[in-house]
This record gives sequence, C-alpha cells and structure tokens, in this order.
Amino acid sequence: MNFELLIDILIATVPLMLIFATLFAFTTWLERKALARIQNRIGPNKVGIPCTRIGLFGLGQPAADGIKMLFKEDIVPRGADRLFHLLAPILALIPAMLVLCFLPLEFPWTKSLLPIQAFLLDGAVIFFFAITGLNTLAVFMAGWASRNKYSLLGGMRAVAQMVSYEIPLVLSAVIVVMMVGSLNAAEIADAQKGFDWFVLSPWGFTAFVIFFISALAETNRSPFDLPEAESEIIAGYFTEYSGFKFALFFLGEYIAMFAISGLAVTLFLGGGDGPGLAAAPWLSVVWFIAKIFALIAVMIWLRGTLPRLRVDQLMGFAWRFMLPLSILNILVAGFAWHAQQQDSTIITVITWVASLAILYGTASGLNQLNRGNTRPRKYKYAE
Amino acid sequence: MSEEIAFWILATIAVLGALVAVRKRNLIHGVFALLVFFAGLSGLFLLLLAEFIAAVQVLVYIGAVGVLLLFAIMLTERVAGDDGRRMVSRGWFWGLVMAAAVFVVLLLPAIQQWPSPETAQPIKPSVEELGHKLMNPYVVTLEVLALLLTAALIGAVTAAQGVRMPKEEDSPE
Repeated sequence: MNFELLIDILIATVPLMLIFATLFAFTTWLERKALARIQNRIGPNKVGIPCTRIGLFGLGQPAADGIKMLFKEDIVPRGADRLFHLLAPILALIPAMLVLCFLPLEFPWTKSLLPIQAFLLDGAVIFFFAITGLNTLAVFMAGWASRNKYSLLGGMRAVAQMVSYEIPLVLSAVIVVMMVGSLNAAEIADAQKGFDWFVLSPWGFTAFVIFFISALAETNRSPFDLPEAESEIIAGYFTEYSGFKFALFFLGEYIAMFAISGLAVTLFLGGGDGPGLAAAPWLSVVWFIAKIFALIAVMIWLRGTLPRLRVDQLMGFAWRFMLPLSILNILVAGFAWHAQQQDSTIITVITWVASLAILYGTASGLNQLNRGNTRPRKYKYAE
Repeated sequence: MSEEIAFWILATIAVLGALVAVRKRNLIHGVFALLVFFAGLSGLFLLLLAEFIAAVQVLVYIGAVGVLLLFAIMLTERVAGDDGRRMVSRGWFWGLVMAAAVFVVLLLPAIQQWPSPETAQPIKPSVEELGHKLMNPYVVTLEVLALLLTAALIGAVTAAQGVRMPKEEDSPE
C-alpha cells in the first residue's frame, strides 16, 4: 500500500469536510437570525458560553442544536423498511460531501497535491452533475421507506421537481463549457481571471439566473420547497425522521447548497478571482467562500420573501419558461462566441445589443404566453 | 497491488448488486440493488482510467434510468413494492442456454485474441477511434446488443399488457 498517497488524500479531503461542516453550523445560525429580522423577531440570542450570561448573539445555538439532535430518541415507524430508513440520510449526505472536491478551491496546504486534485479531472463538471443527481434517490428512498403517505407524497414531489429542474440547470452550464471549451473546473475558473466573469455578459447573465433558480429547486430551497411543504404534507419526506438521522438530512441539504453555490461561483462568478490576488494568492480561497456566502445570503433573503409555489406553477415554470429560454440562450451564446473570434469592437457591440434584445424579448414573450395558462383556481368543495 | 484490491472490492459489490437485483421480490429493493451494481461498474471504469465513461455511467444509468424505473413503479398499483406473486418460470432451461450464448458472443472479440498481451497498448481516447472499434472488432457484439434491447422492449410491452382478463363490469364511482 502506498501510505504517502493515503496521507496526501487525507490532507486534501479532511480540511474540506471540516471547513464546510463549520460553515454549515454558522449558516444555520445566520439563516435563523436573518429570517427573524425579516419577520421582525430577534431570533436565537440566548445560547452563548455555558455557565455564564454571555450571549454572543446566540452563536452557541448550532452547538446546542447538535447536542439536542444527538440525544434525541431515534424512532422508526413499525411498518417502515428499517434498512432503507437507515440508509436514506447517509445517501443524502455522501453525494453532497463528495462533490465538494470538484470545486476549484486552492488551499495553501494543497499546493503540492495538485496532481491528485479531483477538480483537475477532464470531466469535473460532468462528474459534479452526475453525483448531485444521486440526491434525488436519497429523497425518494426516505419517502418510500417511511411507509407514510405524506412521506411518499413528498418523495414523489421531490423526484418530479428535481428531474424537471435538472434540465435547465445543465443546459445553462453548457454555455460556459462552450465558451471555455473545457469541462475542467480549474480551467473554467482560470478563463475568467481579471474580472472577465461570465455573468458580465447578456448570455452569461441569463444563464446565471436560470442556473441559480434551478439550483434553488434542486436543493429544495424556498420558494421551491414543495417536497417538505409543512402546510400541506407535514414535513414531506422526512416526516418520520428524528434525532441524528434528521440532523444528517439537514446537514446534507446545507452542504448541497454550498456545493451548488460553489459550482455557480466557478462557472459564472470567476471562481477565486478578485482584487489583491497578485500580492497574496491565498486570498483566492477567501474570495471563493465569500462569493458562496453572497449566494447563500440571496437564498435566505428569497426564503424570507417569497411564498411557496403550487405544483402546477412549479412544473409550468420549468418546462414552459426556463427550458425554452435556456435552449435559446445556447444559440445566442454560440453566435456570440463566433462574433468574439472576429476581434473587432463594432461586431462586439452589435452582438451585445442584439443578444440583449433577443433574450429580453424572449423572456417577456414567454412570460406573456404563459400568462393565459394561470387561470384563477376553481375550488370544487370550498365555495 | 492496491489496484487489485480495489478491483476485487468493486467487482464483489457489482456482482452482489446484480444478484440481489435479480433475486429480490421487492421491486424497490431490486431497483436500488441494480443501482448499486451500476455504481460498482462505474468504479471499475474509473479504475481503468476511463473517467468520462464512469461519469456518464453515473449520469445516465443511476441518474436517469434509475429514476425512470422508480417513476414507473410509482405509477403502478404496487407502490409498496411488495410483489408476492410467484414468478412464472416456464422455459428456464432455454432461457439459460440463450443467456450463455449471448454472453459468449459478447466476449467474442476478447476470446479471438485470447493469449492477451502482457502490457496494454496505449490508446488515443477519441470518438473517431471509438467508432472504428465499434465497426471493426465489435460489430457482432453491437448487433447482438441491439437485438437484445429489441427483445427486451417487446418483452416489456407483452408483460405490461398482461393476461387479458375477461372484462368485468365497471363499478360506479
């Protein structure tokens, strides 16, 4: 056995897991605080340093939550499939953790390990999409294994939603792959060095918005949190989960949020690009995580602002609006790429104006077309 | 050495997954065992440094085919997955013979160059090369696979139609 390789692998992976688990704890606190402020409450503010009255703005809340989760009783329903009930939370966490290694995070201590880094694989982006797709199976497994109608409904909703939104998600990433000509995450980030970010072009911006909305749906975030809609189906697929299994679902969901935000940062927001990199290369990690947190902040803000969608609205939005727009966007990006090869200012200006007009016109046109389909709902028994 | 250990672990996972997928009466358990088999296969591709095929294996088979199978099961009346009915297995002998024949034909290109070279030839991974390989040594394999898929399709349609029951009166809602 090659022990040096084993140690190198541990150096590359263990800090990654620890960092993101810590960020998870911080994010739960941040989300509760931010939601509380939006709803004119204070939020967690009691738990600080034990045995003192120092509150620290409630920063001890995640630790207290973790301890509570660990000591809670683990209840499995009598009719449940015990094996699948146990496996589902594990299957939810593993893919989320696994895809973190495809983000081009260059820590100072991994400089010597570059040859074994996964984000340098030629198919890193494909691997990312392949492995995040496994999350669907975990959700279905949880819903089915609980032997509870609400759980099964939540699982079925989750599968339908994730399958639909995966298409615009991947199609909007295709644009970046076309522009760079590589599926290698590090090369994609390098191609945007010096504020040449993809989000700063009409087609890139459209793709980024589509990607971000699909990412919200993929990670079951509000306003797309139908699989766990508490006003309709209790808690969806994890209705029958308690204790540490529930905590694993929670952790998996947040890690998936970090991972998909990290991919959005890599594809559209320039990866670790930012000011001050020439003087201090280690700043790239700081910039990367700061950009992830900017996206997480938007997600929290949306959760506090928007009401949940209905099932038909959800499906209609994916298939009637996002899918046509992202396919058209690929066409526009293809023309734009050829125009950029000409290397003349006039052609670039014409491309920008034309693509802006086409994309805006299509988006508003699709909006008009879909308006006729959303009639007010007729209630059969509630008149 | 470590490659060999990895190979045996992955091969065991794949074979066990395939066996459980065939033997399990519970449909959902069977589907997940099949997915374990696909995952083991993807690991084997990764071990052969075919990382693109490994990624596509996960994307297409686990991501798409697996979810499709689960969808199909959810649309039937046996959502609970338990299927206590006896499997009809008339003609298992001919089935076994056919399976063995298909297996041998699939391995034909490998058997033809049996004393396999000690060191593998370096190959340029390109789509063009893949196309030539499919047409030259693997053309019989390709045709047999196509036939197998057609047979599976016809079999699926037949199984889905089921035995025509004499029509009973529709009960009022």
